[in-house]
Amino acid sequence: MEQQDKDNWLGLLRIGDHQAFGEFIDKYKETVFLCCRRLGLRDDEVEDVAGETFMAAYKALSRYDGRCELGTWVWSIAYRKGVDHLRRNRRQRQLVVEAGQGVVEAAEAGPATAVQGRELEKLVWEAVGRLPRLWALAVVLHYREGKSLADIAKIMDNKENTIKTYLFRGRERLREMLAGPFGEDTNACQE
Amino acid sequence: MPAKNRNEDKFDEMLGAALRRHCEAVPVDFTERMLEQVRELDDRRILAQVVLQKRLALSASIVFGGLAILGAVFFPARILTILKSIGAGLVGYGGGMLGKTQQAIDVFRVEWQFYTVLAVLLAFAVCCLMGLLFEDRVKVV
Repeated sequence: MEQQDKDNWLGLLRIGDHQAFGEFIDKYKETVFLCCRRLGLRDDEVEDVAGETFMAAYKALSRYDGRCELGTWVWSIAYRKGVDHLRRNRRQRQLVVEAGQGVVEAAEAGPATAVQGRELEKLVWEAVGRLPRLWALAVVLHYREGKSLADIAKIMDNKENTIKTYLFRGRERLREMLAGPFGEDTNACQE
Repeated sequence: MPAKNRNEDKFDEMLGAALRRHCEAVPVDFTERMLEQVRELDDRRILAQVVLQKRLALSASIVFGGLAILGAVFFPARILTILKSIGAGLVGYGGGMLGKTQQAIDVFRVEWQFYTVLAVLLAFAVCCLMGLLFEDRVKVV
């Protein structure tokens, strides 16, 4: 029944139903903004690119064949639009600039409370923000969105091995940067 | 499971949990503004479609009408001959499939340039007429 509802909803999206498209925007707007911000777009650019992404999706929805998950499809459009925007603004090379070497300082609160609190979330996102953009995006796609390597490769239009490298390096860098906040808690597992 | 692996699993778990807890800031009226843009896009698309149909219909009327007038003024005898030959061709239809086909081919062979132009113009005129009559009922969402 749920699958049937989903199919009906997709059908409405394909024929350009505005109410269904409103639901589609509500469902994926956070994803699209996240992608644009992780690519390093400025605040004033993020909304424009997000708008371009949804307009492109609206025009292309009639051709969506369901071969990949709708979320993955939206991510790939947002990524392409973001990269195109950076390219137009001659900031493409910044995509591969190495990460800042800063280490995020540990929160004063103990790890047990920090894990549950927003402080740790903030520290993690700060650390992700210091990663090179493509590593950061791969990490977010894998750890937050739960995308597979194949899906991430499709979204970022890259080889799976390259994505694996981004993830490995991103994770290692995060591990170094978050050694403080995560340290005690993860050490506890070794005992 | 080795301690190192368990430790890495724990790190992944905590990293994923911290990343998932985050809510990305989105302008409150973003959906409404996007829907407004979508409505404008649809309106523009419908308007462009209607304008194109009207232009095609108008140009078909001008071109076809003009050609008919020019033909009647400058080549009346030729047009009469052609119409007669078409008539003869139709009458000869009863003469059997082979004879009719041969006759049509002969007629077409003699005046093939004219028939080609005529066929293109007729097709254009019919398309425009159909568009004018039937495709005008555009559903405005």
